[in-house]
Amino acid sequence: MSGAGIMLMSGDIPQGSLCTATAMSDVIEQLQYSLGEGPCVDAYRQDWPVLEPDLAEPRTLRWLAFTPPAIAAGVRAVFGFPLQVGSVRLGALNLCRDRPGPLSDNQHADALVMAGIAAQAVLVLQTGAPPEELASELGAGADFHYVVHQASGMVAAQLKVSVGQALVRLRAYAFGNDRALDEVAKDVVARTLRFDAARGEKDAVP
Amino acid sequence: MANADVIGGPPPREALLARTLVELADTLVADFDVVELLTRLADRCVEVLGVGAAGLMLAGPDGELKVMASSSEAMRVLELFELQAEEGPCLDCYRTGKAVMQTDLATPTSPWPRFAAETLAAGFRSVHALPMRLRGTVIGALNLFHVEAAEMHAADVEAAQALADVATIAILAHRASLEAQVLNQQLQYALNSRIIIEQAKGMVAERLGLNMELAFRSLRTYARDHNLRLVDVAGSVIDGALAPSTLGSDPQRGPAQEKDA
Repeated sequence: MSGAGIMLMSGDIPQGSLCTATAMSDVIEQLQYSLGEGPCVDAYRQDWPVLEPDLAEPRTLRWLAFTPPAIAAGVRAVFGFPLQVGSVRLGALNLCRDRPGPLSDNQHADALVMAGIAAQAVLVLQTGAPPEELASELGAGADFHYVVHQASGMVAAQLKVSVGQALVRLRAYAFGNDRALDEVAKDVVARTLRFDAARGEKDAVP
Repeated sequence: MANADVIGGPPPREALLARTLVELADTLVADFDVVELLTRLADRCVEVLGVGAAGLMLAGPDGELKVMASSSEAMRVLELFELQAEEGPCLDCYRTGKAVMQTDLATPTSPWPRFAAETLAAGFRSVHALPMRLRGTVIGALNLFHVEAAEMHAADVEAAQALADVATIAILAHRASLEAQVLNQQLQYALNSRIIIEQAKGMVAERLGLNMELAFRSLRTYARDHNLRLVDVAGSVIDGALAPSTLGSDPQRGPAQEKDA
């Protein structure tokens, strides 16, 4: 494998990544967070492993936004496995590789076991945490894209819309300008980008 | 025991038993009802094993046995279960994890005099209690009453224990699943709380021209001063119920207060 990562999801959307093993898996997680589509998102929603052994020549046409930048980042095969304990679904395990090809039966079986262990581990770690806080073990090394939520708050104030609508505007801007959502959010927080200029979104005059 | 008759015969009822096991397994979907499962089990014990009455008792968190299901709703029968919170075969069975039987309650040497008297008065002569146990964990007991003084056929005891085992696994799996759901809710709540706070920080930062750290301090100071939870203050800011100007009149107060605290 060229990379592996674990995403937490809730309400059908990615909440952030608990960990990523390599730069490539980091890209996979960022893309899925920015775009809201990809193997982890589908694995979580379908409650079933999602396997794409060749992104360049996929058997099913899907992830129209996710696929081109993933290929550009050197990813050729992606696999998503739901993280679940009983009927509780937490997120998904993501595996990726820089060359096409399916998982072997053993790799597939190992991935299922790993996803099960990871799901149990997440719940066990959270057991000891104060009720309103994320367990510190889970927060360390995780990326929950807090800057995106800060930027949502700022854009909501700029446009006088809800934070939910503000997040949609941020996503649309990132997608339209071919940029990562996190990068756009950082610009908003750094006050180099505003959304309330007279004609649509444009860079702020410093 | 030597003079006891044997109830039931060698099992031509295997088909009925197999169907019952399948039926029980069929109820083990994600959101099954424990009481419904146990009531069905009690009813099937009466049908398949030919006992007079059957019931299931589970231990509560305090360790006290409570009747969860009975094949009969007759008061006299229900009372036989309730009585066993204090004495009786189910309590002994639950405590030892071993099957307990009394083939004739009419003998004067019953270890449970009150239970024996009540059971005889209800029209039963013998009683069996089988543990609901998975490895070291005993969660309750399956209780079978017979109208005759008799020992159960070994095959029937095995069949009854198999039914109790299926129910035990179902209940333990259900409990584990509930626990996971609670933990997951806490996890989601923790994640959502943090997101709400970050959103409110952004909103306050934008309205009051502060950086994120000062925006956070003004939220926290307001929460402390008004004895509110930070996440609730953040939520009020986001849904517009609390104007950022209300809390940010003097954001520099935050760090100063920090030193005092």
